[in-house]
Amino acid sequence: MIVLEDLVVRFGGVIALNGVSARFTAPVGGIIGPNGAGKTTLMNAVSGFVTAAGGRVEMNGADILALPAHRRAQAGLRRSFQREQIADDLTVFENVLVQLDHRIGRAAGKRAEVAHVLALVGLSDRAEARGAQLSGFERRLTDVARCMVGQPALVLMDEPAGGMTSDETQRLGDLILGIHGHTGAQTIVIDHDVDLIARVCRETLVLDFGRAIAFGPTAEVLADARVKAAYLGAEEIP
Amino acid sequence: MGGSLLRITPSGACGLIFAAAAFLVLPALAGSYWMSVFISAGCFAMAASGVAFMYSRLGMVSLTQVGLMGIGGWVALRLNYLAPFPFEVNLVLAALATMVFGWLLALPALRMRGLYLALVTLMAAGGLEIVFSTFQFPNGGTGFWGVKVGSTEPFRGPALAQTPQALLRYVVVMVTLGFLLIEAHRRSAPGRAWAMIRRSEAAAMAAGVNVTLYKTWAFGIAGLLAGAAGALLAASLGLLDDGTFRSSESIMLFALAVVGGAGSWLGPVIAAVLLRVLPALLSSVGVNANLAYVIFGLGLLHALITAPNGIAGQVFDAARALSARVRGAK
Repeated sequence: MIVLEDLVVRFGGVIALNGVSARFTAPVGGIIGPNGAGKTTLMNAVSGFVTAAGGRVEMNGADILALPAHRRAQAGLRRSFQREQIADDLTVFENVLVQLDHRIGRAAGKRAEVAHVLALVGLSDRAEARGAQLSGFERRLTDVARCMVGQPALVLMDEPAGGMTSDETQRLGDLILGIHGHTGAQTIVIDHDVDLIARVCRETLVLDFGRAIAFGPTAEVLADARVKAAYLGAEEIP
Repeated sequence: MGGSLLRITPSGACGLIFAAAAFLVLPALAGSYWMSVFISAGCFAMAASGVAFMYSRLGMVSLTQVGLMGIGGWVALRLNYLAPFPFEVNLVLAALATMVFGWLLALPALRMRGLYLALVTLMAAGGLEIVFSTFQFPNGGTGFWGVKVGSTEPFRGPALAQTPQALLRYVVVMVTLGFLLIEAHRRSAPGRAWAMIRRSEAAAMAAGVNVTLYKTWAFGIAGLLAGAAGALLAASLGLLDDGTFRSSESIMLFALAVVGGAGSWLGPVIAAVLLRVLPALLSSVGVNANLAYVIFGLGLLHALITAPNGIAGQVFDAARALSARVRGAK
């Protein structure tokens, strides 16, 4: 279970997140909201790239807000970025292996785990390809593989389907749905693609101007009048 | 892991063959003047490999490397006159002391990047230049700075290498070990961490990489190599002169490492040859050695315009094209 409690983030005088609370219990949850609502800020605060001014973030029953970003990753938090972060001069295999390097243990065990996850995402035959040689979708798959190794507890994905064809989005959705079964981790997805969110996320948090305006089962949330107003714009254009 | 750590790539094989050739052929080539030129080129290749890997693997620009060589040389000279240790002990201690200095230099690196980091390292180089020119290098005098006027006391070189020819071989072995040290890092966890840091620090942190540790580590390795290079240079010359370690030399070393190609072993070697052998060659044929600076400038323009991976990148590309052609002809 992932618990957000009264999370506040300020950038100078701007309140980017204003007391956001949510309790994610489903295998896959979603965060949606209009541009500038604070979705990526929320993700940055949870993963440690932005310092929260107050509140709690619980993962595996412990507050992680005091940990530096890399310690959160080592504790089981995974994060993929809007632009997938694949090192061009490492192979696909090495790009995934880096996530396990902090762990003390036998190299053979780590390599076996990486090979297993690469098979899951369908990149086994590209394992020795360099990052620079990959297509956009392969880079994204490598990123997903990195999120799945090393017993993750929480996987955060920031617009994973950005710039993808509908086939690719379909395959990515299948993979996201499989993360819980393969690793036991909860996944939280931010995306503008409401179809993807409706398909993979059982529960969804809606942000608008740094506030949580709705949280609950995805279908109900998407039908909520306030959400429609915020997300699609209810004001009349003068 | 063991398999990929020991795997020999075509470029690596060329490097080992080059080192073997340098070990066997260079000492037989010429007299003691050229020996000292080649030895100093070897030392600078070792130091250049430090800045080259920091630039190509982490994207960090360090402009203190020659100053760090000076520290290594200073410590080696100081220890030489302090206690009757064999040269190897002095070499290791000098390298370690310089590594610690490299860590100190890493402190600003943790907060700055790009041009600002380069400026901070340049300031450090400038500071070292002043310290060296004020206090000079130990030559057997008394006191902490160990400087005396007049003749210098002898410097104990490696017991294995008492002639210039043997010392050149010794330096070739050491430089090769230094290059292998970098390559071993590149192929294991630190190399992966560095590649992630170069991609973006946020991505590295998200992958569980301790960015502070691995950046500091990189500066430490670069310092270690510079320190060892400085100590070897001291062994070759027997005394050091502050003019060798000016901050402008650090800039030149970095620029030539980029011209040579920072991504492979050949780049630092080309850099060292340009920096040390070319001026000697020019003056031996009666041309003003300062012409070398014009050639450096041309080389830099050449690299900026046509060779993103430096001259080494072009050489390897040409070799690849040639081998593809030979295979096609068969």
